[in-house]
Amino acid sequence: MAYNVLVVDDSATVRAVIRKTLSLAGVEVGEFHQAANGQEGLEALKGRWIDLVFADINMPVMTGIEMVERMAADGMLKSVPVIIVSTEGSATRIEQLKAKGVSAYIRKPFTPELLRSVVDEVMAGKGA
Amino acid sequence: MNEDTRDKVGRSFSEVLEKLAFMFAEPAEADELPAAEGKLVLVAMGFSGHWRGRLELAVPEEMSAELAANVLGLDAGDEAALERSADALKELLNVACGSILTTLAGDQPVFDLSVPKVAALPPEAWAAMRDDPETLRFVLEDRPALLRLHVQEGPA
Repeated sequence: MAYNVLVVDDSATVRAVIRKTLSLAGVEVGEFHQAANGQEGLEALKGRWIDLVFADINMPVMTGIEMVERMAADGMLKSVPVIIVSTEGSATRIEQLKAKGVSAYIRKPFTPELLRSVVDEVMAGKGA
Repeated sequence: MNEDTRDKVGRSFSEVLEKLAFMFAEPAEADELPAAEGKLVLVAMGFSGHWRGRLELAVPEEMSAELAANVLGLDAGDEAALERSADALKELLNVACGSILTTLAGDQPVFDLSVPKVAALPPEAWAAMRDDPETLRFVLEDRPALLRLHVQEGPA
């Protein structure tokens, strides 16, 4: 099954790396959308069917955390799974993110195998 | 920074570089470094929370294009790699900062990381950073690289 994916990160390099790693991991991607911050991410989610969101935490304009909070408050968006991809290694921060509705957390740098495993787990939880 | 901390910072940086870009950094003394040729760049970012501080990385500009190519799986001369060279350098520092802070402080403290910024580095500023006792020096793919961590102990 191909997933429509949205990657939200202020680094074009990271967006390209996530796209490449999804391909290397054998995750079938239907539509690939990208945004440079949380605000653009929310706009990209409007009017589109997105199966899975990858988001950074630290971004200008709107952080990934604020984007997740706004998605959780939106009846249409709260069921879209969000995987945070970030450099931060704090277990405390990861628990805080999960409490806000984040589905999973991947710490950079990551391997295709890890990405595949997390995507499979998250989408299985969605009933995909 | 004591020797144990320097060792942890250096190993953490090398591991990130290897995993992210398949590049290898060898620790070196100031007099063992290759000459810094061409334009030089400094990428820096701050962090706050459990500790407050700053992490800086200085490299020859041409290295950042090679870094981008490796991260993206492109040829070194590829136009896309050249376009993303500064972005790749910022991402390397970002990942290294997260890794170094977790290595030094453990996985419970929370840090807020700033967005990295890249600027040109004049040769005299390169020399000053190279000779700073706090700086970690590396030979990275036959080029010099300087890494410096400033940490202000205690909650910000």
